[in-house]
Amino acid sequence: MGVNFQRLDGRGTYDYRKITITFGIDRGCCHVQIGDTRVMAQVSCEVTTPKQTRPNEGLLYVNAELSPMAAPHFEAGRPSQQGVELGRCLERCLKESRCIDTESLCIMSGMKVWAIRVDVHVLNHDGNLIDACSMAAITALTHFRRPDVTVSGEEVTILSVEDQDPIALGVHHMPICVSFAFFHQGKYLLVDPNEMEERVMDGKMVIGMNKHRELVTLQLTGSMLLHKDQVLRCTQIASTKVQEMTKLIEEALKNDVHERATGGQFGSASSQDPSHVTSHVTTEKTMEEVDTEALRELARETVLKGRETDRESPGMTRAPDITLLGKQTGRIGEGGLSSWDVEDIEESEEDDVEMIADTNVKVVRETSHISKCLGIDSSEDSEEDVTETLAAHHLGVHESSRGASGDTTIDLTTALNQQKRPAPGRERGKVKR
Amino acid sequence: MKIPLPPGNKMSSSSKSQQLKGKMHLLSQADGSCSLSVGQTAFMAAVYGPREVKMNKEKVDKAVIEFMYRPKVGQSGCGERFWETLVGNTCETAILCSLHPRKSVGIIVQELQNSGSQLACCINAAFLALLDACVPVRYMVAATCCIITEGSTEPILSPTAVQEENAIAHMTFAFDSVDHNVVCSHTTGCFSEDQFQLCLEVCRKANKQVFDFYREALRERLSGSMIEC
Amino acid sequence: MAGMELLSDEGFRIDGRRPNELRRIQCRMGVFAQADGSAYIEHGNTKVLAAVYGPHDIQGSKGRAAVHDIAFINCQYSMATFSTGERKQRPRGDRKSQEMTHHLKQTFDGAILTHLYPHSQIDIYVEVLQSDGGNYCASVNAATLALIDAGIPMKDYVCACSASFIDETPLMDINYTEESSATPQLIVSILPKSEHLVFVEMNSRLHEDQLSRVLDIAVKGCSDIYHILDRAVKEHLMEASIPLSSDT
Repeated sequence: MGVNFQRLDGRGTYDYRKITITFGIDRGCCHVQIGDTRVMAQVSCEVTTPKQTRPNEGLLYVNAELSPMAAPHFEAGRPSQQGVELGRCLERCLKESRCIDTESLCIMSGMKVWAIRVDVHVLNHDGNLIDACSMAAITALTHFRRPDVTVSGEEVTILSVEDQDPIALGVHHMPICVSFAFFHQGKYLLVDPNEMEERVMDGKMVIGMNKHRELVTLQLTGSMLLHKDQVLRCTQIASTKVQEMTKLIEEALKNDVHERATGGQFGSASSQDPSHVTSHVTTEKTMEEVDTEALRELARETVLKGRETDRESPGMTRAPDITLLGKQTGRIGEGGLSSWDVEDIEESEEDDVEMIADTNVKVVRETSHISKCLGIDSSEDSEEDVTETLAAHHLGVHESSRGASGDTTIDLTTALNQQKRPAPGRERGKVKR
Repeated sequence: MKIPLPPGNKMSSSSKSQQLKGKMHLLSQADGSCSLSVGQTAFMAAVYGPREVKMNKEKVDKAVIEFMYRPKVGQSGCGERFWETLVGNTCETAILCSLHPRKSVGIIVQELQNSGSQLACCINAAFLALLDACVPVRYMVAATCCIITEGSTEPILSPTAVQEENAIAHMTFAFDSVDHNVVCSHTTGCFSEDQFQLCLEVCRKANKQVFDFYREALRERLSGSMIEC
Repeated sequence: MAGMELLSDEGFRIDGRRPNELRRIQCRMGVFAQADGSAYIEHGNTKVLAAVYGPHDIQGSKGRAAVHDIAFINCQYSMATFSTGERKQRPRGDRKSQEMTHHLKQTFDGAILTHLYPHSQIDIYVEVLQSDGGNYCASVNAATLALIDAGIPMKDYVCACSASFIDETPLMDINYTEESSATPQLIVSILPKSEHLVFVEMNSRLHEDQLSRVLDIAVKGCSDIYHILDRAVKEHLMEASIPLSSDT
């Protein structure tokens, strides 16, 4: 705030930013924007068992999430202090004020009741989240329609939307929160603080009221001291603001009902006329037809070509041969019966690198990708480990023996004998483990 | 946000995608953001980055791509985690990660309305937000979705939720803008090799229009911002 | 609520009090030897224990939250598992406790002279042993006594009291039965000499016109509690100074 006590965006002390309320196609979906702060609420319902202490009443869950998209410092996972505060405030505003008639949500006393769930997502944080969330939540609850049910004996049938019009929830009153920010130990106050004002305020007061001038929640937080008459003055300001906001919500709901009936674009209401052209232009595109006949030919060709290449290179795409070795034992590929003998080693896969515990010789099957690994990292060479890579021909393995059976036995005795004299083409290097 | 009904909304014709609508840069906090709707399915995406990353997630040679998907109702579960991996990997192939080592690019997608063709819309929204945030990419990525229904030989592009329920196979393909190769493919259901290839070719052809849409959206966004500043 | 009158026709509440009477308050300071300051308070059937440690070096992860010119107040509020009628599953860490912790911290942030101890930490631990309504109020009063016992400088005592509004009558210091019925509850904590409000919380529906009366009775309750606490502090000091004066 400057010396002349003007806010940064030119608003007066008691002015709200532009409020816009829109609805989605689903029942119970509501978007509220206060300035740049955007919030979305969605109401859903399901049938559950009631609480044991209140068998006749339905359940209401309010879940407020600070989405990581709203601000760079919001993280996914455990809710932060601000998230907990927002959630508790909304709970107090909606649940403890008994704004929804929970007794009408009972289907069968003690056994089945409706559980209504309100999910509030904060999409963009530019200050005053509590006001926006409370408006979105109560508007969504008023907008929501739950399916009708018929009870016959023990059975409960939920009627689909086409069969029976869904029913509105019983909303007794619409509580809305108004936030005040205090500065200089309560000397200055501002209504509807934006994000920058929130960062430097001393303390905050949230007053939840409905249009009948009933207080639903009042909370003064922050390290500042106020007088009783300041609190009373704030409640008076809050009641005027709440009247305006309730009128806006009712207008939006009425527009929506009208639009749904006439089949036009779904309802919305805005507190001020848009007086400037925004740069948020909607781009539209109507898609053109795609000719499938020509593509069908192309697709057929690709499939046939693919099958040809499969035939040419059997290694990769050949169907695996399955040999039955005995009861409950089959073999696919290079696997075989197990053997505990250390000398008789059979490889199970082509790319495997096997290590023998006692000796430092690593038997490597020569394949293209392993050979690329060799000689990369000689900096980690320890002089105690003499590692040698043995090419297949050192071990007496012949390429031609690979075939249908795929069974290779490597005789290590020849390998160990060969280690005593330098084998041709020996490479020093460590294979990465 | 208004989600208008497209004219003649109930059934889209078999080889024609639904209408695309998008808005860019609507969130003030995020580096890049967009809201995209395909017919009646709408998603909002926001991108933060490249920005600092926690030490335990840091990669020394390239940027870390963190993708988060938020459903509209309820908590995130296994299905959402799977999509996060899938779409995150798709974005990672496109983004030039090695230009920003020890940083992270955070992409968050929020479901606004769900009426079929979810995965394709999610990928497209994420990508538009990446373009808006000016994250360096090697090519643009766009996805199209189609289904095969019993009795019909024609695949149906960008199905609605009602059409998806009757489908025997559901496929989503994402292509790049330079060579139009497949970047990501996700299928559910039973289908033959021929059907797969046909759907792939049909989606590839339809996808080119999505790239045109990207270009137009970017043009609108940049022409507006020139006047602003 | 059917069958239970919270305020009888003669003007008596369920526990026999008048609308403007506090519950019986008993308190003791210095109950723990190892804590820097400690206190125990009873508001009727609500029994709360508070312990204060500090000011001392900032420990652990709170180092990041340190501000260079003021002390960091670390609060923890927990309820014993046996404190309520049904066994409490989570003594601390659930949402309501977290909220309560946060409120306690903010209350004392405003009351303690934190600028005298930059870069240090003051711990306030509150444990509810028996809960019969007015948990926050008893916690604040107990913490005030513990802070005085620890010798930490504050602007003033912090006294808290709750109030309600039933049958057109404001009631002072409500117990659990009155809290759990669907009546409005107002919790106020003030600095008694200046009557500045440090913390105000109100739940359930209350008409705006009645707010002034309910606030008044809550503030009066806080002043009464202040006198009781002040007397307790002075008695405690007298007892502590008797051995010193007997030496002379």
